[in-house]
Amino acid sequence: MNGLKQEQAGRCWPEEASRVPLWVYSDPSVYADEMERIFYGDHWSYVALEAEIPEVGDYKTTFIGERSVIVVRTGDDEIAVHENRCAHRGARFCREKFGKAKEFACPYHQWVYSLEGELQAVPFQRGVRRKGGMPESFDLKDNGLNRLRVQCENGIIWATFSQETPDFKEYLGERMYAHYQRVYDGRPLKVLGYNRQHIPANWKMMMENIKDSYHPGLLHVFFSTFGLFRADQESATELDDTGRHGILISRKGEQELNDVSGSIRSFDGDLELSDTRLIEYEHEWSTPQTVGMITVFPSAILQQQVNSLSTRQIIPKGAGGFDFVWTHFGYADDDEEMTQRRLLQANLFGPAGIVSAEDGEVIEYCQEGATGNASQNAMIEMGGHEIECTDYMITETAIRGMYAYYKKIMGF
Amino acid sequence: MMTETDPVSEAILRFYHRYDAALDDRLLDEWPNFFADDGLYRITTRENWDGGYPLSTVLCEGVGMMRDRAVAIQTSMTYTPRAYRRFQSGTLVLDRSGIEVETRSNFLVLETLPDRQSQVAYCGVSYDRIRLDGPDMRFSKRVCVLDTEMISNSLIYPI
Repeated sequence: MNGLKQEQAGRCWPEEASRVPLWVYSDPSVYADEMERIFYGDHWSYVALEAEIPEVGDYKTTFIGERSVIVVRTGDDEIAVHENRCAHRGARFCREKFGKAKEFACPYHQWVYSLEGELQAVPFQRGVRRKGGMPESFDLKDNGLNRLRVQCENGIIWATFSQETPDFKEYLGERMYAHYQRVYDGRPLKVLGYNRQHIPANWKMMMENIKDSYHPGLLHVFFSTFGLFRADQESATELDDTGRHGILISRKGEQELNDVSGSIRSFDGDLELSDTRLIEYEHEWSTPQTVGMITVFPSAILQQQVNSLSTRQIIPKGAGGFDFVWTHFGYADDDEEMTQRRLLQANLFGPAGIVSAEDGEVIEYCQEGATGNASQNAMIEMGGHEIECTDYMITETAIRGMYAYYKKIMGF
Repeated sequence: MMTETDPVSEAILRFYHRYDAALDDRLLDEWPNFFADDGLYRITTRENWDGGYPLSTVLCEGVGMMRDRAVAIQTSMTYTPRAYRRFQSGTLVLDRSGIEVETRSNFLVLETLPDRQSQVAYCGVSYDRIRLDGPDMRFSKRVCVLDTEMISNSLIYPI
């Protein structure tokens, strides 16, 4: 859309630096455009962990944008991702979240597809007694399931609708890929379970939340009080060269009153845990960071918080809400003690998480503030106007990075 | 298939009613008192339960963790104020061994948020063990398995 049309639509990107117009969160036509340009465009989306479909024929259904996809293991080292949409009448025919199949069949007219997505058979293709049926020109080969490009990268399966999306390593960029390999180092993973919540806020607000290193030590009393994420700790915010991906890094401190914690309203020196297992960190990676929160634009958050590991997948459901799917995992060779530690620390995260429930709540507040205020702007000026890697957390640089990229690909 | 081994006593139903009333009234400091010291409290989902996944949505091993969560809910956590109202039905005694009774019940939780209509927030089944010590009853285990596939933003209070 050109500038004139944007203006006619009442959409104007603010000239003032470090601002985001609130219409990006609520305008249904912007949302529709995002689906095409972002979710179905030249971007990799998270679809599964390899550990979820270990055997040939194992499949999982999930979403990219609003489109349902089937992720299926077609060989020991081969995974295919298809759109869950029958070539015939468009039915979303696969109804299970997980399953095992030799083939896929649409129940409506029993069109059958191989695991690779090829259309195998159409009942009565030649009609009955030379009457009816498909015309001669109909070719099974041209009517398979829409097959996406797939890339497996150290345990995570990524998919894209576009032929143009660069190789995943290149897509992440060298700097982010190095961070990615810290937790995803090639060791087999083990799924611990799922949590699913619907958050009534625009999908971008979740990305912003995880790129926002300014908020954790303020909103999250548990983080600031127990030193899990606080401004006086060693930390960093890094981005890839495009600005779309980011990581927040931090190293655990203590529950101590000092010049920084003393200035945080939410710091509570008197808060005591009856059972400290919730926050006990066991060193397990090569570098000492206790927080590594990676955002892979547009839909994935890769969480390392203390020893709790999860992927968080954003599934947009209209401009005003998204489903948020948490897949908690450990390493296949974790001992019982480490598994228990990860399971207990999961209390901090998910829809009932002592920390994470607060994120869902406050971004709902932001969505409510954006609604009916399309001509207003949000401020992302903390740390100035630059888009750069920093060695401190009082900055919104990673959010600025995402919107610089967003603005470009959306043509705003 | 589960079979009922014992009639549900009035005392067990009253215990459940007291538990729900305390939580409906948001008396969170009393919540851990319904559990034995080494009691287990879990909320998980049908998906995790049926799939054999150990992850919980809420997991408290022992009353210490319940107290910590109760304190967090009351003093540290940020969320929109709300009321939950809990409805329990279909309680069956599945097993009785020594001083412990194993039960199964349906639960339904209605949530009321400011300026909104009340809505069904959660429904599911609880699998509990209740320790009887004379007239005193405590949960040694309460596991709530949610049918609810998608939690409406956040789950704040215990069920």
